[in-house]
Amino acid sequence: MDLRSVLTTWILLLAVGSSIADNFTESNADQRLADQLQLHGFASQGALKTSANRFYGDSPNTSFDFTEIGLNASWRLNPRLRLAGQLLYRRAGEMSDDEPQVDFLLADITLASGDSYRVGTRIGRIKNRLGLYNETRDVPFTHPGIFLPQVVYFDKVRNLILSADGILAYTDLYQPFGLFSASLASGLPVVDTNVETAYLFGDLPGGLEPDENSWLASLWYYSQNERLKLGWSGAAVSLKFDPQQGGPLPIGPGTVDILYWIASAQYNTERWSFTTEYMAEPMRWRDFGPLRPDRDATAEGYYAQVTHRPLPKWQLMLRYEEGFADRADRDGLKLEQQTFGLIPAKATSSRILTLGLRWDLNQQWMLKTEYQRHIGNFILSEIENPDFGSFDKHWDLFAIQAAFRF
Amino acid sequence: MTPFPRMQWPQVSALISALCFSLSALSLAQAQQIIVNDDVTISDIDRNRARLIFTMRINQWSDQLPVAVFVLPDDAPLHQAFAKSALGVFPYQLRQTWDRQVFSGTGQAPLQVANEAEMVQRVRQTPGAIGYVGQPLSLPGIKVVEVK
Repeated sequence: MDLRSVLTTWILLLAVGSSIADNFTESNADQRLADQLQLHGFASQGALKTSANRFYGDSPNTSFDFTEIGLNASWRLNPRLRLAGQLLYRRAGEMSDDEPQVDFLLADITLASGDSYRVGTRIGRIKNRLGLYNETRDVPFTHPGIFLPQVVYFDKVRNLILSADGILAYTDLYQPFGLFSASLASGLPVVDTNVETAYLFGDLPGGLEPDENSWLASLWYYSQNERLKLGWSGAAVSLKFDPQQGGPLPIGPGTVDILYWIASAQYNTERWSFTTEYMAEPMRWRDFGPLRPDRDATAEGYYAQVTHRPLPKWQLMLRYEEGFADRADRDGLKLEQQTFGLIPAKATSSRILTLGLRWDLNQQWMLKTEYQRHIGNFILSEIENPDFGSFDKHWDLFAIQAAFRF
Repeated sequence: MTPFPRMQWPQVSALISALCFSLSALSLAQAQQIIVNDDVTISDIDRNRARLIFTMRINQWSDQLPVAVFVLPDDAPLHQAFAKSALGVFPYQLRQTWDRQVFSGTGQAPLQVANEAEMVQRVRQTPGAIGYVGQPLSLPGIKVVEVK
């Protein structure tokens, strides 16, 4: 798609969205319904250029293939029952499906509540509360940079941990010394070819599917004024490979077991926010046959991020992150040897320095710009860059993004 | 003994902080007021509970009446002063909390009104409503609630 058709598509969608919203908020006929039914939405368009390697489309030649549009509704029928849903259209180079998805669609039921606690359940398609940003990872207004720290929130395998179709139980405790929140969920993850390619090191003939329900848990502490946020969240996912009958390669019906967890900490002051997260992902491959011998590895990623608000509408961001495909083989030489050079060492680690600037023109409009210096190619998508050998180890990224919300 | 002993640094700093405290108490005293609809059966509210209500975490009054929260736009000076001195949070934190709830499907955002006049009108008309104003006021249908 060229830039013009991209722009036309999203201006049209926005017009529809905001006119629906206006009708609801301006009608006096049933103010009560308007108060209980909320409609919100957002749209963003980005442009990015890399010195080498493809990221979000044909970035070496400037890519506009980065669009996010969301429309959501939330209806509080009564204090105990709320229904909510969001449609998401997302283009992210060859990493996206290019058609609208149901991002979440759920019933939120409060089972018991009081002045100091709330216990409830959500049923349906639920966004996974992993780390500080996963739940709203596609909403540009909810994070400081254009791109989330990729070593923790991989865009190449976002679907694996994005959401689950299932059930979640949560409890919130409001204590004088702070707020505790815990959740436990079980459901089926949504797996796509991005996930398959990343976890099988290539698009093999056959399909990778959830083997059983994923389990997700999170535990958060917020200090009373929310200056300090501490959290631990994790997901256990099992995938099974269904090989194509009579395929060209003797690949067995193997399994991949993944545990993915994030420890999070954030401290906020009026002008500054300090954020750090650590992600570890132990993985286990079994029974894929002689071409893909059984293997265990733990991927790892962490970052430190400082945001500064010199003026209310301006925000500067500085972030450093490191990620490794296998923390026992950080330089990737062992894997390069084992795969006879098929997976080069540089593809198994990323070190990224990011500088970002965000300007909130008003409550509706926002502009962001970002520069990244990369060493290594771990965060790049195997679908966008099928020829691992041609990776450029040292590369730069420059991006701008405009976003609108209502 | 000298009639005017030289002040030691700890005393100076104590004096300064006492001065700062009384200044901030002064600015609090003339600051914003929380208002509620007449049918809300409270006369005072503590800061923690007010924060839980304005961050949309508590959505029912003690007698099960649903809460309806009204706020001014993010960049309204009254909103900023209210967030900081009455709730003890920064306006950007409120926006982050509401956005996370709205765009993850886990909650709602408060209802936004354009100005103080609309705030008063909506709080008066809406059962279970809570909001804030910049000046003390006395109007039928509205109660001013003391923040403890």
